[in-house]
Amino acid sequence: MRVLREELAAFADGQLAEPRQSEVAAAVAADPTLATEVARHRALRDRLSAHFAPILDEPVPESLTALFGKAAPKVIDFTAAKQRRAARGIPRWGWIVGPALAASLALAVFLPRGGEVPEGYAGAQLASALDNQLVATQESGAPTRMLLSFRNDGGQYCRAFAGAAQSGIACKDAIGWQLKAVGGAAAMQQGNYQMAGSTAAELMAKAQDMAAGPALTADQERAARASAWR
Amino acid sequence: MALLPRLRRFAAGLARDPADGDDLCQATVIRALEKRDLWQPGTRLDSWMYRMMRNIWIDESRARTRRGETFVAEEAGLSVGGGGGQEEAVTLSVIERGLGTLPDEQREAVLLVMVEGYSYKEAAEIVGCPVGTLNSRLVRGRDALMAWLGDGV
Repeated sequence: MRVLREELAAFADGQLAEPRQSEVAAAVAADPTLATEVARHRALRDRLSAHFAPILDEPVPESLTALFGKAAPKVIDFTAAKQRRAARGIPRWGWIVGPALAASLALAVFLPRGGEVPEGYAGAQLASALDNQLVATQESGAPTRMLLSFRNDGGQYCRAFAGAAQSGIACKDAIGWQLKAVGGAAAMQQGNYQMAGSTAAELMAKAQDMAAGPALTADQERAARASAWR
Repeated sequence: MALLPRLRRFAAGLARDPADGDDLCQATVIRALEKRDLWQPGTRLDSWMYRMMRNIWIDESRARTRRGETFVAEEAGLSVGGGGGQEEAVTLSVIERGLGTLPDEQREAVLLVMVEGYSYKEAAEIVGCPVGTLNSRLVRGRDALMAWLGDGV
């Protein structure tokens, strides 16, 4: 069987459609010359990606992050920022109402479940945004803006959000989106909600404290949404 | 925002120089922020920004070709004379010089697929050409690179 150079390269990249992929695989298995070619293609790719990989780990220059506003550098390097914080012991976020939340959770158990939202949980509109909006694809004019998503130490999905009504962090449990932290409203600016610097910083700091790992990527977020954030 | 490291990587590959790459990245981010309303939710933000970066780079390269390319040679000369990591610098520059020998259209195809990990279809959409065209540019670029690097690939 004849294999075109284009096909061989595409095969090495795993980009051939079936049934051609299997046919070329058979040809490659039967022909050491082709197998050597495939190995060279893959080695070239490895060498190229290794060459460019260090750039991903470099800190992004401030001239670039500054374009996004002041809170930006905190978001970029989520894990590193978390470690730095742990090392420094920065004061905790001030506006969590831990005891109050615990009390309302206890109350929620006794509340009738007639479609009412238990106290301490996101209302219908916010819950819908939390359920559906992805950081990567949300509309710039949405009433509530998702800032980032992550998993907490308990493995729950949590999302930090900012909106005209309120900002905060909510985590998904069996009942709904439990508000772990709530803060003030964000101001509207250029179609986006920009929080006051200190509020944004506190929100991000809180998220970093709660997160068990880096913020979810766009793909991970999409997968989380597909599984209803559970 | 989280895209920045990847945008910087693509920019460094296109521009073949980290400083030029960051300038390119900056221009891309500024244009993206200006045009944010044109981006269609539901489409991939990364592809959109890569496409924008590529167009900016092409405009910039045309302008540069008209100006002449003297400063490129000067910088290439500087990067060879490194200190402690000299051997490493020389190996790296082999790849960079190899990429530099490719026509832009082949280089971007190689970068998008082999470094950025896009599928042929996605890369073709970013570049704005049929998949078959991208495929053949990619193969020509790869063949040239493998020939440049020799059997040590």
